[in-house]
Amino acid sequence: MSSALTEVRRTAAPAAVERPARGKKPPTLRKARTFYLFVAPWIIGFVALTVFPLGYAFWLSLTDSDGLSPKTHFVGFDNYIEIFHDPLTISSLAKTGVFTLVTVPLGILAGLLLAVILNQPIKARGLFRALIYLPAVVPPVGAALTFRLIFDRDAGAANGILSSLGLDPITWLVDPNARYVLYGLVMWGCGGSMIISLAGLQDIPRELQEAAQVDGASYWQSFTRITIPLLSPVILFQIITGVIGSLQSFAPLLLSSGSLSGAGTVPQGNYMYMIHVFAQYFSASRFGYASAMLWMLFAVILLVTLVIIKVSAKTVFYTVEPEGKK
Amino acid sequence: MTTTNPGLSRRRFLALSGAAAGGALAVGCSPASSTNTPAAAGSSSGSAAKGTVTVMSQSGEFGPKEAKAASQALGITVKTVEYDLTKLTAMLASGNPPDVVRGMGALETPYLVARQVAENLDPYFAKSTLIKADDIDPVNDVWRYDGQKQGAGPRYGFAKDYSQDCTIWYNGGLFDAAGVTRPSPTAPMLLDELLEDGKKLTKRQGAKVSVYGLNPNGLGLFSQFAWLTDLAGGKLSADDLASVDFSSPEAQRALNWYLDYAKAGIGPTVLNPDPNGWDGPTFQAGRMASTLSGYWLGGLFSGDPKSAKVAGFAPAPQFDTSRRISPCFGGTGLWIPRASKNKDAAFAVLEWFMAGDPAKARATGGWGIPPLKSLQKLMPQKLPYQKQAYETQMAEKQYFSVMSFTPYVRQDAINTVITRELPKAIKGTTTAGQLADTLNSQINAQLADGKKRLR
Repeated sequence: MSSALTEVRRTAAPAAVERPARGKKPPTLRKARTFYLFVAPWIIGFVALTVFPLGYAFWLSLTDSDGLSPKTHFVGFDNYIEIFHDPLTISSLAKTGVFTLVTVPLGILAGLLLAVILNQPIKARGLFRALIYLPAVVPPVGAALTFRLIFDRDAGAANGILSSLGLDPITWLVDPNARYVLYGLVMWGCGGSMIISLAGLQDIPRELQEAAQVDGASYWQSFTRITIPLLSPVILFQIITGVIGSLQSFAPLLLSSGSLSGAGTVPQGNYMYMIHVFAQYFSASRFGYASAMLWMLFAVILLVTLVIIKVSAKTVFYTVEPEGKK
Repeated sequence: MTTTNPGLSRRRFLALSGAAAGGALAVGCSPASSTNTPAAAGSSSGSAAKGTVTVMSQSGEFGPKEAKAASQALGITVKTVEYDLTKLTAMLASGNPPDVVRGMGALETPYLVARQVAENLDPYFAKSTLIKADDIDPVNDVWRYDGQKQGAGPRYGFAKDYSQDCTIWYNGGLFDAAGVTRPSPTAPMLLDELLEDGKKLTKRQGAKVSVYGLNPNGLGLFSQFAWLTDLAGGKLSADDLASVDFSSPEAQRALNWYLDYAKAGIGPTVLNPDPNGWDGPTFQAGRMASTLSGYWLGGLFSGDPKSAKVAGFAPAPQFDTSRRISPCFGGTGLWIPRASKNKDAAFAVLEWFMAGDPAKARATGGWGIPPLKSLQKLMPQKLPYQKQAYETQMAEKQYFSVMSFTPYVRQDAINTVITRELPKAIKGTTTAGQLADTLNSQINAQLADGKKRLR
């Protein structure tokens, strides 16, 4: 197939390299211009909204800027060095790591379990899929504020249920309970993971499962030996995006706290890295240090992603050979 | 502005003259020539303010409606931007700041002045036609800073209204129901009495507090601790404002009083926040017996007959040291950035908002004390609670004094440390002394860092 295509291209090539008529631009130039015109909005957006802010943040990270004062001093890599000596930064990073280690696998497992159940020929399957996916399309801010209402100490539904059972109300949105509310909030969105896993499950050829059944494989054997390996690229995708999302968690942490008065009132159990960054920017006005923290987070995410990709090379099964590998 | 450029061409000169004449005519025809409109607008050249002024404030204070009214009154274009610290920072960094900005004078003035971002408004006030020096309420001194001390030196802003934030609003109905004597409208309560009354007034349903006895949290814990320490006869901040000392006997008395309150579980704390986020709805629901909130909270009750019937106002409490201090921690108002490109017009807008028709309208609302003495007679006195609050408040004014806050860090940063460390002391895992050591160490490190950055 590949050689036939090459053959077609070879024969078609001389016709494409016609000499352009006088005053007309060569087709390759026209194509290039069209290409650049099409990608220009993205490139402009990328430069203005990503490259420039990244560069500016890097410059800030080398200063002691407070965001207001014109007296800004160049401090070199002092801010980066301070990160390793700041106990709050280290502890917030550790909490973020634990949060990621707990919520990412749980979210993927819950999504996969729901996907497997809803991939069976059950009644009202479409309705269940829609209902479970629905929370995932609620904006994170809306979901966090809804959770705040549900777990409100005085007027929340959670304490309403406890009261009706004759139990004392719980102050959910402060330490140490706030972390359970947060984990619940994150798991609430596992419908997104379910949809991705469902799409992966539906992509697995039925013949493989049927052949395994004919060979006497149990459902569990078929699931672990056929379904999981064929689903592994989808799982890898979810791990990478989940880890990146979890490490950057911010709005749910801020909004699901008992008070909405800023980073200072976020319960210590939920005081994670991005909350500390926010506090450094807007409470402490340490723009330089906060920018260094963001660059450090970028490095951590990059490193973790590379490690995951490296580790996954031997465990992820691709039905199609990845590009560049032969 | 009025000097003639020798290089000006005849055509350009005629064009400019035409524009100037047209502008003067437009200003003359506009409502700006009516009463309560700044005439000179503080312009150094004496010409009328013109151009576009961008005001960064909250829409409930100075929003599009006020901008339209200002435009009509002053004959200039006034735009508004919603107040947002991030946006303000970005606008300042880009060299294109708003011309007028909302701020809390009591807590922000030294910080803004030390960073050279606020304009000295003394020359503008000197020429103001609406704001006369002898009419300015002393509370506006929170907007003054001489580089060493708050309350002295040039004015960098002006309050739109204010409260003495430790004065008490109480629910008389809850006091009567609990058999507790209502606070006196003239004599200040002792803080220890207030705490004991708070315990008696608190109602519980199982583990849930259904009626808070007392909320002394004010506008932030650091300012409350500074006030309590001052009442105890000490100072929380050093004279150079570069360090704090929570370990002094007076500061320890303040910390212990607050910890007694927090451990008693009779009101909101960082461990048990009020889900409403502020006292208004809780008070209106009959679930807050007393709160150190300041006069402005009374504005809420004028449209709420149920609360108006039971609300009472009392002076700020004190320790048994005979020191009586009734501070203002807000003094929310407006300031003008140094980098504003249209300061004359910006001051005209500030002046109109603080002393013109909007100021009169605010004065009658009861949401704060007007910043001009001449407007204070307009404060609401129709309802019994309003009359009582007015009389108590007017007597309370003499106990106001400016407390100096540090120029080195934002209050937010200090409050973040306090709210982080306080829970351990409330739970009893650390003592007041250990809490003081931790606060000293962390806050002083912040202050030292802030000072270093201002070098």
